[in-house]
Amino acid sequence: MKTILNALLFCLIILPATLMAQSTVTGSVTDKANAMPLPGVNVIIKGTSRGTSTDFDGKYSIEVSEGEVLMFSYVGYTTQEIKFTGQSTIDVAIEEDAAQLDEVVLIGYGSTTKQDATGAVEKVGDEEFNRGAIVAPQQLISGKAAGVRVTSSGGGAGEGGEIRIRGGASLSATNDPLIVIDGLPIDQRGGAQGSRNALNAINPADIEDFVVLKDASATAIYGSRASNGVILITTKKGSANQPLKIEYGLQASTRRVTNTVDVLTASEYRALASNPSFDSSTLGNASTNWQDKIYTTGTGAIHNVTVSKGYEHSNFRVNFNHASQEGALNDLYERNGVNASFVQRLLDNDLKLTFVGKAIQDEYAYANSGAIGAAIQFDPTQSVRDENGNYTQYGTTANLAPVNPLFLLENYEDRQTIQRVIANFNIDYKIPFLEGLRFNLNAGIDYAENDGHKFIAANPNSLGAFNTNEVSNGLNRNTSLDFYLNYKKEIASINTKVDLTAGHAFQEFYIKGFFDRTTNTNTTQTDINRNALESYFARASFDIADKYLISASFRRDGSSRFSEDNRVGYFPGVSLGWKLMNESFLEDSFFSNLKLRAGWGVTGQQEVGDNYGYLGTYTPSRNDAANIQIGTTPTGEPIFISTLRPEGFDENLKWEETTQYNLALDFGFFNNRLTGTIDGYYRETEDLLSSVPVPAGANLTDILLTNVGSVTSKGLELSFNGVIFQKENFGWDTNFNITFQQQEITSLSLNDDPDYVIPTGGISGGVGNQIQILKPGYDPTTFFVFRQVYDSEGNPIEGAYVDINGDNQITEADRQAYKKATPDAFIGFTNNFRYKNLDLNFTFRGSFGNYVYNNSASDRGNANAVINQPSYQGNAHASFLDTGFTSQNLFSDLYIQRADFVRLDNVSIGYTIPFEKMTLRTSLTATNLFVITEYDGLDPEISSGIENNFYPRTRDIVLGLNFSF
Amino acid sequence: MKNNYINNKAMMLRTIKSILVVFTLALFVQSCEERLDLQPEDSRLTGEAAFEDPESYEQFLAKIYAGISLSGQEGPAGAADLAGLDEGFSNYLRLYWKMQELTTDEALISWNDGTIQDLHGQQWTAGNEFIRTMYSRLMYQVALTNEFLRQTTDSKLNDRGVSNELQAEIQTYRAEVRFMRALTYWHAMDLYANPPFITENDPIGAFLPPQIQRADLFEYVESELLDILDDLPEPNADPIVYYGRADRAAAWMVLAKIYLNAEVYTGTPRYADVITYTNNIIDAGYSIPNIPYAYSFLADNDSNGAQNEVIFTIPYDGLRTQVFGGMTFITHAAVGGSMDPVDFGINGGWAGIRTTPTLVEQFPGEENSNDGRELFYTDGQNKDIADVSTFTEGFAISKYKNVDINGNPGSDSSGDHTDIDFPMFRLGDVYLMYAEAVLRGGGGSMSNAVTYINELRGRAYGDTSGNITTTDLDLDFILSERSRELYWEAHRRTDLIRFNQFSSNGIWQWKGGIQQGTTTDSFRDVMPIPATDLGINTNLEQNTGY
Repeated sequence: MKTILNALLFCLIILPATLMAQSTVTGSVTDKANAMPLPGVNVIIKGTSRGTSTDFDGKYSIEVSEGEVLMFSYVGYTTQEIKFTGQSTIDVAIEEDAAQLDEVVLIGYGSTTKQDATGAVEKVGDEEFNRGAIVAPQQLISGKAAGVRVTSSGGGAGEGGEIRIRGGASLSATNDPLIVIDGLPIDQRGGAQGSRNALNAINPADIEDFVVLKDASATAIYGSRASNGVILITTKKGSANQPLKIEYGLQASTRRVTNTVDVLTASEYRALASNPSFDSSTLGNASTNWQDKIYTTGTGAIHNVTVSKGYEHSNFRVNFNHASQEGALNDLYERNGVNASFVQRLLDNDLKLTFVGKAIQDEYAYANSGAIGAAIQFDPTQSVRDENGNYTQYGTTANLAPVNPLFLLENYEDRQTIQRVIANFNIDYKIPFLEGLRFNLNAGIDYAENDGHKFIAANPNSLGAFNTNEVSNGLNRNTSLDFYLNYKKEIASINTKVDLTAGHAFQEFYIKGFFDRTTNTNTTQTDINRNALESYFARASFDIADKYLISASFRRDGSSRFSEDNRVGYFPGVSLGWKLMNESFLEDSFFSNLKLRAGWGVTGQQEVGDNYGYLGTYTPSRNDAANIQIGTTPTGEPIFISTLRPEGFDENLKWEETTQYNLALDFGFFNNRLTGTIDGYYRETEDLLSSVPVPAGANLTDILLTNVGSVTSKGLELSFNGVIFQKENFGWDTNFNITFQQQEITSLSLNDDPDYVIPTGGISGGVGNQIQILKPGYDPTTFFVFRQVYDSEGNPIEGAYVDINGDNQITEADRQAYKKATPDAFIGFTNNFRYKNLDLNFTFRGSFGNYVYNNSASDRGNANAVINQPSYQGNAHASFLDTGFTSQNLFSDLYIQRADFVRLDNVSIGYTIPFEKMTLRTSLTATNLFVITEYDGLDPEISSGIENNFYPRTRDIVLGLNFSF
Repeated sequence: MKNNYINNKAMMLRTIKSILVVFTLALFVQSCEERLDLQPEDSRLTGEAAFEDPESYEQFLAKIYAGISLSGQEGPAGAADLAGLDEGFSNYLRLYWKMQELTTDEALISWNDGTIQDLHGQQWTAGNEFIRTMYSRLMYQVALTNEFLRQTTDSKLNDRGVSNELQAEIQTYRAEVRFMRALTYWHAMDLYANPPFITENDPIGAFLPPQIQRADLFEYVESELLDILDDLPEPNADPIVYYGRADRAAAWMVLAKIYLNAEVYTGTPRYADVITYTNNIIDAGYSIPNIPYAYSFLADNDSNGAQNEVIFTIPYDGLRTQVFGGMTFITHAAVGGSMDPVDFGINGGWAGIRTTPTLVEQFPGEENSNDGRELFYTDGQNKDIADVSTFTEGFAISKYKNVDINGNPGSDSSGDHTDIDFPMFRLGDVYLMYAEAVLRGGGGSMSNAVTYINELRGRAYGDTSGNITTTDLDLDFILSERSRELYWEAHRRTDLIRFNQFSSNGIWQWKGGIQQGTTTDSFRDVMPIPATDLGINTNLEQNTGY
């Protein structure tokens, strides 16, 4: 590697090329729409490799000879050509290509243009990203693409979010999409241990764009990992012939929770004294809102320094990043990263070498999230500290009582440091002896080490309890090597463009984890997991007469997770496109773009927890506390023996297979000022890799990962982009996307028993309780509840449920499938306004048809939460005031609440000040400003559909400053 | 300068070419499909690797015993055996105890875990997760024993070059494993009547086990036990080698148990066989120790003398055998209200299990009985149960205590886990079984029966004041005496069914889901086959009534 770096650096230094004596022309390039100077526009002399690009004020200067043609090109704009006839200045106003139909879009092992894309492929570029102090890349595209749902898991520091493309295709296997960064597929398990969000390894400021591959015809080239969609992330590289550019960006932020769980206030709590079982002697004199005590205002700062420059044959970009973010529980996330990219073109641009490397140190100081539950449960009449200045506790007679939440936060430490390098080296070589033939090789490594230390103080309510100390470390290594040959040719005789690709890929994942835990029972454990994939892939695309597009791809994957007999899977994909706007009958119509697309493909899934699920393995006792006595010593002391357990296995384990159909229409009106896409899909996943009950006795476990069942889903995705105003001083553009989706389990067991259900969705309030079911005919997040009976005034009657089966008793046979957690529809709505140097944008997100089970209320919204706890009195959820329930009614449909919402996710206002030598942009962003919802719990947006001890989302206020030189 | 540039450029090209070559080579090295044949690299082992270690056989045997006491490979929780329910809940002994006690007049629980209240209320359905997990646990235990037997055939042992000495020892292991399988099948026969049936001759994986009928399973359990008697260690075997293991007396005990209940299982009484096998055990050298009854349930019950009575024990240790089931559950869950955890050698109560007035009333003088087996805790507790979910409703029971005879706590200084060994089979039970078989016409001697019972009552009263005579001895007395002697030792449900007092007869508080109690349908003498298994195993037919 060092040699390559030397070579690259050397090139960077020597390449300011030999110059010839010519006349100099200067000028500026502006945007025709608003007369704003455009920096970074490539100014190239046609037919040569000479060129430059505009500086930050849109100015350029270039040596040119009489008669040569200057080409002004800029991504997203129409290229202009002007012949040099001795002018001393050439000022150019270039025009935005509204539809950007020629925009290059990556499609996996290659690229296409937007107008030639036949699959459901959506690109979200950096100008569309969400603004603010974002540390997690997935937050950038939340609400920006139809069919893509990003749900953050709460307000913790460094929190990322769950990405679901078309809702995910699996039940027990992962539903996370495959993420490919600059050609390197990232481990779907995250790629690093100890992290709250492994994707944080990518600095959002380095990201150029996301390309989301949604349908199977587009993703099949990724074969066995493609069922949940693929996201291709391209990082910024700088561009050729670009003047030195130095940028500094600062985002300073504060964050604060916006809502807390409704519990009884101190006075409401005191009023409980009227209950004969209430022990008033325990009441304190204080009025403490424990939740207000634990949540603090977090601050954060993100610094980015970026240096980039482009030469004739090379360019580089280096970014240094420091980010810190505090969560509301005073948890901390810090990132220090450097991202460097070098591009070198050799042999008359026939050989292009690209190196992208990132080195990141992530540090987390996690908070004890147990404080969230403790704050909800703790007696509100107690003061934080007692008269001696110690934290108030329930005392050692109540070892099951909640611990003072502030004690929990203070006497806890959980630090994780993750050092990670993601490096990728790409060779792209135009093979000289055959025009159109190209060889591409990609070698990547993603290597992460983590080190952690955790301390949990002994439960102060339990005599003799032990502190817990845990040291952990781990290593993740993902090595990837793939290459392909690509051949592009235009066959004039049949008016067809041909694009053929074939290649091979090998990728290995190695994960090692270690921990040494010291507490009452000491446990030391090392886990090692290795798995590998070997693949061959090919694609052929034809563009006939610029009207008819045909593309077919094929991948053969071998996975180490399956036995030799089932190891190989074949994943084909076919798609067709018809560019109607190029047909003569649509000439001069009001359509400026019209394209019909159809696709079909088969993808796979092998991302399951277990690497050796097809092998029968044996597990020894993992610590000394899982031994049993066999015999004694001669003096009667017990002799302990560790045990050896055979594991259940399914030797016939194989790929989960998803077949997907996609039909779509792309359209544009008014010279593509209004564009849109309608995508409809139908997806069927069979041989689901599911953890399901095995026939009792048939295996060495009760629940086994095996191939059983099927799920179908269908959906409709609409997205519209409009450029409403495009004037010199004023611009307004808008994006609206809406997704309708439906998912249904079609079978669950080998014998297709329609009454067969698998309980799922564990809840609090009694061990082993589950509120959801998997059942054929229903959505996989369907709730399973009793139907509450109400009195004439509409109040729920405690314990009275509808006797569904009419047997005169209420048993779990009376529980019914009812509502679900996934939405029927969700929307994203973004508007960007520009007035002179002022810009404003905001994004709404909404979700409809989703329900949430309020577990905080069902668990604690009853008198027993206070008066019937083992040796203590806790606090109750405020729903108790409405229901008056004595006991938990965990399975009442009362707690399944409609959770439609519309959230103003992001508002950002910015002002750009162009100085002589630099540009300054200032911005103010606010996130999560308000939520409109009927749901009366903490937050309607909970991906599991079960609200319980949820880390509340925060509202962030961010001040941004960006300097460019 | 220019030369230099060209040289450098040439060098760079060479570098690039060599990189290409290296990558291409790496490519073909990497592309070997063999790299997809991966095996575990941590403490997990493939079968063949595991059995290279001669100690693996004893460790596998230990797993089968641990199948009852533990819940997974990491104590107290972690790497669970079963995934269908919380790990601590899925422990064999905890579930078996709940099935045998919560369904009866001896115990009820205040908790709100899933359908747990349906057990005492006798309102369970085929969807009850405790009934389901008991069933999964039993069949899992059978699958473990089958795998042991498959892995220790003569041909496998010879192939692996196992020494003759070890092979001989493994023959004893195999007999013990078959005992453990018979024990579990007896539990399955008792609870579910007609469970799935698998032996070491069945494969692992994609097949549907057939269902066996109760009477056929009876025959199988009987024949297995008879077949292994000679291979098992001597009865009352030396604890130095055999503490915690099953010997011939344990097999006699299970035989005596199935014969005593044979009328329930098969319709054909076998009381004479009960006399035969209880006599075998009584003659094997076990004794009722001359120490208080309560000592049998203390942390040092493996050494305070109580062990002399025990035929088959499930050993626990506060440090080495940790689980959130078994004795940890029984001890903690029984403590609540005003009970001081320190008296129980634990760090706190879980405020769960108490008893009904019916058990209280079995003792003359109730909570002030002279019978030393009356171990009620009444301070702050109501005898009657107005609210099931309140611990202080119903008398608490302080039978199991994690302290030694001097009141010192057990070995786990955190107070989480206990040292109490669970006496699954003990001589007191055998005496009562003998007496019952005599009364039911199995032969034997009435005077011996009275002597045996008075031995138990002598321990209970500390003198002869509680002694009975032949005229006192009838079947009603036996059922009551069994409750007084053996309450909370996981016998009650089977006993009540044998006496036809479990469902359609017999009333205690909250039976049937109402406070005064009510009878239920007699089909509840047999548990349902769980709905989950019926849904996947088409060979199964649901038990009558469900």
